[in-house]
Amino acid sequence: MFDYISFFQNLSNGVLIGAVYALIGVGLTLVFGVMRTINFAHGDFVVIGMYFAVVLNSILGWDPYITLIFAIPLGFATGALIQKYILARIIDAQPETMMLATLGISLVIANLLLLIFGGEPQSVNVSYASSTFEIVDVKISIVLLLAGSITLFVIGGLFLILNKTEIGRAIRATAENRLGAELVGVNTKKIQAIVFGMGMALAMAAGVALIPLLFASPGTTGATFTLKAFVVTVLGGLGNIGAAIAGGLLLGIVEIMGASYLNSAYRDAYGLLAFLIVLLIKPEGLFGKTVKRV
Amino acid sequence: MNKHYILLIGLFILGALYPILPSAYITVGVTVLLFTGWASSWNLLGGWAGQLSLGHASFVGLGAYFVALGSTQFNLAPWWSVLLAMLFASVLSLLWGKLTFSLRGPYFSLSTIAIAEILRLVAINEGWLTGGATGVFIDTLPQPFGIDFFSKTTQYYLALVYAALTIAITIFIATRKFGFQMRAVRDNEEAAMAAGINPTAIKLKAFAISAALTAVGGGIYGIFLSFIEPHLIFNLLLSIQIALTVIIGGRGTIWGPAVGAVVLVVAGEFFRTTFAQANLLLYGALILIVILTMPKGIVGEYSHRLIRRKYAKNA
Repeated sequence: MFDYISFFQNLSNGVLIGAVYALIGVGLTLVFGVMRTINFAHGDFVVIGMYFAVVLNSILGWDPYITLIFAIPLGFATGALIQKYILARIIDAQPETMMLATLGISLVIANLLLLIFGGEPQSVNVSYASSTFEIVDVKISIVLLLAGSITLFVIGGLFLILNKTEIGRAIRATAENRLGAELVGVNTKKIQAIVFGMGMALAMAAGVALIPLLFASPGTTGATFTLKAFVVTVLGGLGNIGAAIAGGLLLGIVEIMGASYLNSAYRDAYGLLAFLIVLLIKPEGLFGKTVKRV
Repeated sequence: MNKHYILLIGLFILGALYPILPSAYITVGVTVLLFTGWASSWNLLGGWAGQLSLGHASFVGLGAYFVALGSTQFNLAPWWSVLLAMLFASVLSLLWGKLTFSLRGPYFSLSTIAIAEILRLVAINEGWLTGGATGVFIDTLPQPFGIDFFSKTTQYYLALVYAALTIAITIFIATRKFGFQMRAVRDNEEAAMAAGINPTAIKLKAFAISAALTAVGGGIYGIFLSFIEPHLIFNLLLSIQIALTVIIGGRGTIWGPAVGAVVLVVAGEFFRTTFAQANLLLYGALILIVILTMPKGIVGEYSHRLIRRKYAKNA
């Protein structure tokens, strides 16, 4: 007989993990929408968020979730500065040039972290790390639930900014048509800096949300997150925030289901396979607008 | 274009004399040559046809694994393994290209990362074939005509021939119809189509050649390392390094990959020996500086300046 309890258990875990993937993916897709480039340092921004929480926890003893209040503005400022002083110089070069510049930034960040914190993985111990509560025999981990809620709040805030404020209107205009936005008086340089800052803030928030679940380690962790963020955005549809959320949830579910019903050693591969299948049959993403075909 | 061949022959002779130097320098020499070969192969697809791959480590890994498994499991001589690896790499690239080349934007680049990741996971998890996460160790290789493949000097000459071959192929293709078709596709797909070129077919051809050539270098790399670990060989950093070698040297130029390989490998080696832990940090910073100040790459900027000077004189 089919085991419904464990099915719903996996589903709830998948959705909650997927929510955090969505948070990472939304930042990447937001930046892609306005700057038309894939930010390879995005995963490293997530790792910066993780270390930020680790440091504040070990020095000041703060709960990782409280550090969010500082992680978000810090991420925004750093991201805006990176865009203003590094990426803005090559904004008119070929899109590949920009992509490679972000690769350079990624290498610098990953190795700076390695130099400061060493190769040993670090994490934050919270008293509620393993506590759960049950809804009809389905166990829900508090930490996962908190991570999912953070995503909900941060993305909700982002939606309000994008849809209800003047800045948000300018961002959407720049994403749709940069030249057109400039013609009606939008300072697109400023918008790009703001968006890159928002992207980094979202990534750092995701890092903080993940720290009680995962270990922070410099080096390849950043690249892994960047890859996950790509998968999320392509599953949903590149440059579309709602689609990135759906893509994140889908990736979380596919990974958890694949790992528990097929072979757990290939956990990371299921997401990638789903990504290749989506590329094959619906390259604009499951929820995206049509892309131009040759 | 003859001057390129003459330069290549001159450099080849100089390269053949390199092992006179103390044997401590041989490893750097092999690394420079392998990167020259990989980067030249990458350049055919990424520079001339304009399709940025960030998964060329897959083909390096395929080449290395085919040679290693050929010798340890199937008792196959390395040259046959390399041929098989070339075949496998081109078939894989054709399937993969079919999937992604009809799309514009960053889809191709992104999918290349995914394929390398999947290959890495397969290499780690299918231990019965690949030796799993611990890797494979090449302990015996045939000795045709008494040539010892384990000697560093032999490996150096293999790498030298490989690097020279990829550059020669680049020079050959650059002046042929195929070379012009690739550039047409890169610069403007609509215009290329209007001129009767099928962009997808051109990209597929470039990808298959690029993949097969990279696999050859991978086979030599496998022999050079003689110990292959999936984490190190299907590594995103290796894919990135191959791409960056070309970007730094100059995309779509004949000598860019070689110049990039010398600069990056020597700088990398220097940083590694002098700054130990901080080496990749400085490496990243160097890449960032070159991209910001010379977006066309070293050779690209240089020839651009030469052309400007020539026109300034004529005016």
